[in-house]
Amino acid sequence: MRMNRGFAAACLACCATWGTVAAQDKAGDGLAIGRQMLAEDNPGELWIEQGKALFHGLHGPRKASLERCDFGMGPGKLEGAAAQLPRYFADTDKVQDLESRLLTCMVQIQGFQHEDIVKRAVSPAGSNGSDVEALALYITSRSNGMKMNPPLSHVKERETYKAGEYLFFRRSGQTDFGCVQCHGEANKRIRLQDLLHMTDKKGAQEVASTWPAYRGGHYVIRTMQWRLYDCFWQMRLPELKYGSDTSIALISYLHHQGSGVMIKVPGFKR
Amino acid sequence: MSEPMRIRATLQGDTADVRVLMLHPMETGQRRDGKGQIVPLHFIQSVLITHNGRTVLDAQWSQAVSRNPFLGVRIKGAKVGDKISVTWTDNKGDKRTDEATVAAAS
Amino acid sequence: MRKSWMKGMLLFAPALIAVGCASYPDEATTRGLAEKMVSTDFTAPTPALLNRLVQDRSQQICSKIADAKLTQEEAAEVVKLARASIRYPSGGLVGDWKIGDKLAHNGAGSRIQRGQLEKRKENGGLCQNCHALAPGEINVGNIGPSLTGYGTQRGNSEPVAKLTYERIYNGWAYAPCSNMPRLGATGHLTPEQITHLVAYLIDPQSPINQKK
Repeated sequence: MRMNRGFAAACLACCATWGTVAAQDKAGDGLAIGRQMLAEDNPGELWIEQGKALFHGLHGPRKASLERCDFGMGPGKLEGAAAQLPRYFADTDKVQDLESRLLTCMVQIQGFQHEDIVKRAVSPAGSNGSDVEALALYITSRSNGMKMNPPLSHVKERETYKAGEYLFFRRSGQTDFGCVQCHGEANKRIRLQDLLHMTDKKGAQEVASTWPAYRGGHYVIRTMQWRLYDCFWQMRLPELKYGSDTSIALISYLHHQGSGVMIKVPGFKR
Repeated sequence: MSEPMRIRATLQGDTADVRVLMLHPMETGQRRDGKGQIVPLHFIQSVLITHNGRTVLDAQWSQAVSRNPFLGVRIKGAKVGDKISVTWTDNKGDKRTDEATVAAAS
Repeated sequence: MRKSWMKGMLLFAPALIAVGCASYPDEATTRGLAEKMVSTDFTAPTPALLNRLVQDRSQQICSKIADAKLTQEEAAEVVKLARASIRYPSGGLVGDWKIGDKLAHNGAGSRIQRGQLEKRKENGGLCQNCHALAPGEINVGNIGPSLTGYGTQRGNSEPVAKLTYERIYNGWAYAPCSNMPRLGATGHLTPEQITHLVAYLIDPQSPINQKK
């Protein structure tokens, strides 16, 4: 009986927080000022209208709109939806992030082929961008100003979060890299590209609030799925499948680490 | 033939915050293609912006401006419903005009 | 009174577990789920390339989650495996610093994209990505310590050359589980390439050892 009470107390105690260490401020510098100026006039915003049209218009072999798509708040309800992703969905019986959920709807409601969407999901640099990029941006922008707060109540949500944490620290390949090798410390950079400190609250919040983003050097909107794929590319690891459970788990981990931040998209990246 | 510009004009106080993305290759004439041939010079040479028909910006650009130029302009004395017109002309003689209406800040 | 309290606990406990007791999922369950994801969620042009995701013993030990610490025994095991992995070149340990200079600034090679393996003449050393090199270069990373003046500080004796060679071939022989890739041991760089990097670091003529 004493064991029961202790067990209960321990459970309640460790249920209290999932938070991480306190934030560290980054001193301003010349490059930061320049980036700030670029970010204030973000061309990425010009894709929001395109995403809106794609969302409400009739598209795909079934000539249907995505208005019936449920992102977790009910069919067609977008306000605040991105702020609660990834989350568990009963109809697919899995935890999904925004892009994999968008894929589900484009296939089931609009009749697109999964492989076709995936093939076109990442647009060539300098192009007009892909449908998925514009849609992901539009849907996320409907949560602008809201706090990132994905749920952790379903057992699969907990499993996904924990798997994401495991994967963040998992080292493999000829570089012996896991995400933590580059994103586990403050004030680090690769060449002149500053790295976000993702095991810190502030760094994780920046990840969670600024994707999809306008990638200056590519002249198009890029999404979180693309960003994860690109990291594995640089780590000399095999190609991450679009919308895979690995990607959803990592996104879940990052969104939980960065919870509480106000969403503000499109972000602006180099 | 050319891609439409993306224009957004939002009123902030009495100033229209105008953002224009012009989709144009802006070739410098120094780049070589996969076969080693020079990609010919092709760039926007002039840009004209009018506000209710009145010229507010008249610019001459060079090939130094990069691909898909993005232009942000603040126009004072604007009101919701005002017409913003953007025209670009390139060195091949191609010309394109797109318009937008000043909208209220959302 | 005791009995009713206990009954209350028995009713309450499952709810606690369902609602979010931090004991589920445990480490073993998480590992199983995550490793299954890794085995299905990636593609590569060949099975050999897909095997890059398979962890060796040292990587498994060194993948500590969050604040988990490396034990003495684990550190010793990683060091032992690292020492055993080191292969020396057929010739000397010090190559040509001019070749090493190019190699140190080369961040390309061996990446996989759109079903293709990046094929270059050779894999780059990747050094500039994480380390400061010759004085005055600003486009350098800071994940690793600065290597500016490496040879000036240590000299270019044989023991220094050997240590430098080994730390590039498999740095975990000296700093188990460090962020430094085991460039030689994993095959990213050849022993010959590493001799050029050694020269770049310790040769008094090398740019890395000049005053700015």
